[in-house]
Amino acid sequence: MKILIADDSRVMRQIVVRTLRQAGFAGHDIVEAGNGRELIELVRSEAPDLVLSDWNMPELNGIDALATLRDSGNETPFGFVTSEGSEEMRARAEAAGACFLIAKPFTPDAFAEAIGQVLVA
Amino acid sequence: MSMSMRYDEPQLADVLALIEEVWRSFVGVDEPLLPAEPDTGSVAYAATVTITGGWDGAVTLEFGVGTAEAVSARMLGLDEITEADVADAIGELVNMVGGNVKSLMPGPSALSLPVVSTGRIAHSNDTVEVCRCELSWAGLPMAASVHAHRD
Repeated sequence: MKILIADDSRVMRQIVVRTLRQAGFAGHDIVEAGNGRELIELVRSEAPDLVLSDWNMPELNGIDALATLRDSGNETPFGFVTSEGSEEMRARAEAAGACFLIAKPFTPDAFAEAIGQVLVA
Repeated sequence: MSMSMRYDEPQLADVLALIEEVWRSFVGVDEPLLPAEPDTGSVAYAATVTITGGWDGAVTLEFGVGTAEAVSARMLGLDEITEADVADAIGELVNMVGGNVKSLMPGPSALSLPVVSTGRIAHSNDTVEVCRCELSWAGLPMAASVHAHRD
């Protein structure tokens, strides 16, 4: 399995990788993007099995990247990992085609519950 | 985190709870954040995010000498870190606190990307500080504040 992690913070990408491991998703190939534009390019070139994306990023934000992917017919499973966990943001994420939204700060349990619906640990 | 009550301004207890949750999750549980007297030293680093829309304001973290470096090293699990690591780490911390403050306030609103500075961040005359807490982590000083926009 291949997981694409998109976040403009390298520190957060590292924490997401660590949390994936703690949640039982060790051993997957990890691809990293620093913004939404890179995310789209890497989804197309790397064909990941899952995208974990921040919402607010420079160049192109996560929700617009998701919309671009879906508009082009790409249905790669996509989840947000974002500091914005309000009901409004969750509704926007779901409407755009996201599988889940994990709010920061998060726990390994939150990762296991959300990602377990998409990937088998 | 979900809180059903919404206020005109962020409440100190809520902001403190958010910061403590962020610290527990990403900085660690072995060194708790503690309330502290205002630090008399200079602010070495500050990080801020703005919220605009249903509520307009800014959330800021200020770090005394040595604090941002120690916090960042703990987040990254490294002994030696660069200034870029510090900017990245404390920018992400204020992003998480600010994103959760945004969720407490009336929306819809937009959250900015974090801005990190060496030294204190100046706030404009059309904002007022509505909430501030002085803190200590691992014996090192820091502070959190919320500014609200005033017409």
